[in-house]
Amino acid sequence: MWIAPALMLAQAPAAAELPKAETVLDRFVEVTGGKAAYEKRKTETQTGSVEFVGQGVKGTITAHAAAPENSYMSMELEGVGRIEQGFAAGVAWEKSALMGPRVKTGGELAQVRRESTFNGPLHWRKLYTKVETVGVEPVNGEDCYKIVLTPAEGKPETDYFSKASGLMVKRVMVANTPLGDIPTETVLSDWKQMGGVLQPGKLVQKAAGQQIAITMDSSKVNEPLPDGIFDLPADIKKLMEKKQ
Amino acid sequence: MKIVLFLLAAASVFAQAGRTLTAEQIALNVASFDKVWSTVRDKHWEKNPGGLDWNAIREEYRPRVEKAATMEQARAAMSGMLARLKQTHFGILPAGGYSEVGSPTGSGWTGIDLRVIGDQAVVKSVDAGSPAARKGVKPGWIVVSVDGRELAPLIAKLRKMDEQSRELMLYRPVQARLSGAPGSTAKIAFLDGGSKPVTVEIERVDAKGEWASFGYLGAMPVSLETRRLGNSGYVALNIFLDPGRVMPKFGDFISSCRDCDGIVIDLRGNPGGIGAMAMGMAGWFVDKAGLRLGTMFMRDNELKFVIFPRAEPFAGPVAILVDGASASTSEILAGGLKDIGRAKVFGTRTAAAALPSSIEQLPNGDGFQYAQANYISEGGKPLEGLGVIPDVVAPLTREALLAGGDPALDEALKWIRTQEKKTK
Repeated sequence: MWIAPALMLAQAPAAAELPKAETVLDRFVEVTGGKAAYEKRKTETQTGSVEFVGQGVKGTITAHAAAPENSYMSMELEGVGRIEQGFAAGVAWEKSALMGPRVKTGGELAQVRRESTFNGPLHWRKLYTKVETVGVEPVNGEDCYKIVLTPAEGKPETDYFSKASGLMVKRVMVANTPLGDIPTETVLSDWKQMGGVLQPGKLVQKAAGQQIAITMDSSKVNEPLPDGIFDLPADIKKLMEKKQ
Repeated sequence: MKIVLFLLAAASVFAQAGRTLTAEQIALNVASFDKVWSTVRDKHWEKNPGGLDWNAIREEYRPRVEKAATMEQARAAMSGMLARLKQTHFGILPAGGYSEVGSPTGSGWTGIDLRVIGDQAVVKSVDAGSPAARKGVKPGWIVVSVDGRELAPLIAKLRKMDEQSRELMLYRPVQARLSGAPGSTAKIAFLDGGSKPVTVEIERVDAKGEWASFGYLGAMPVSLETRRLGNSGYVALNIFLDPGRVMPKFGDFISSCRDCDGIVIDLRGNPGGIGAMAMGMAGWFVDKAGLRLGTMFMRDNELKFVIFPRAEPFAGPVAILVDGASASTSEILAGGLKDIGRAKVFGTRTAAAALPSSIEQLPNGDGFQYAQANYISEGGKPLEGLGVIPDVVAPLTREALLAGGDPALDEALKWIRTQEKKTK
């Protein structure tokens, strides 16, 4: 257990040889389509499937997003029901068949706001106050630049970008939730053209001892979104009114 | 992505006929053993699972799986290894069993809910309008035999089991004796209220509730009963599954009962299910943010079972009914609400089987249930091994049943009325 970090350190190039994090992040924008391609995108609807690996629990995902920072996601899980979450007008919320409705606050709110920023890769300068390349590490046999991104509010996130392709391969972060701080690791793969830019077709997330695989099947951009899709659900409105 | 927690009841056991294994099946069993062993090694909340030398355990049990001539022997070796942990929620669920719990065979129901009192299987309740009710079966009657098979030997055998979860282990197999294919007839020998022998033929019909499945657990009938008892609300849930249907119905009832003088939640016989449902239900009874039912502790992480208050929660007294067959999520809900002073618990001590667990499929097709965390209720004590101790101990007695009573429910309603007087 002691040897592995030491070996990785030995393999890492000296700091002077490492590209600046800014360069790596800007390259990511370029290899996924470039600034102009991102800027053409104003809304997006994605659909896909989700599976709790090894547990026989499967479902579907539908996500809507719009500039500048509106998001809505609905997950229908077999045997569980619907779990919805959204962000609009500064309010982050979740409505779960399991735990009911709730309004997100504090670090969790800040995290959702970052994740809801439309064309997120393009806006890393706005989303993070500090970015730093800290080394090179292999991820699934592929050498990657390890970039630590520190937001204004919340814990730093660590992204891994392939040296060869410039694509993001992994994100390691601590999810801030009322249930506690949950370390998560998400591996991104199967990059493909979706919605005018390259996006990962598959995400495998490990968190709290579980592995969740998400496969995105389709993306439609700049098409009309369902009416009122970013409106707060009635349950959430009631909670907001109670708070005030 | 959301984190969904899976808390399931103690494993059921299903029989499967023995037959000699092929080389391929043996290889699959060995691969299954390796998965079971390594999962416990990597995911058990203790670095040394159960305080055991887990490497030595592997050396002891792996050869038994390699040499197993039948599936039963292979499963026995894996189950034996897991039994060394002396913890609930670890088990091997035979293929064709765990995934077919809900198959129509065996799902037929007479309308009788049994409990073992002393050495006897006693009718706890008879569902109104059920075949048993139509045949005049009454609470308090003793079931002597079903289709010629006496229950006494089964009860005697099960009584020898570990005291900790005895009631949970007694309830299911005894109740299962009444089951059969829908449309079939059960010939049941009773002792009636006067202890006179009565034999009745009762048709089995589709089980009460709606069928729901969750992952590899397979389909089960889920029943949520809601009604008014005088001016009190009464909710009974048989298992924590099917949240998409159960949770809105539960919420609607609580909302409709805002003028009730109290609410009784009956979790007797409820073996658990999806743990997060406990948090969702508790939100209907709590107005203060930040409270929790307890915390689950994994090896490197912990998850708080936080209660998210609803916009308009119920503010009156809450009574929860439990017995020795209330397990897992039932204990998490009852124990947590008791610990934060939001509910009073009535009945008998719960099953003390409350570890957050998952079910995964093994290479040989069997299911493997394993606990990946310890759970400490908000009062600071684990539920595993201790259970929830009721505030008011009210055991079921045959005499009370024959008199039309239900000691735990009667005590709960009495308490609610006292609370009403206090607040007036």
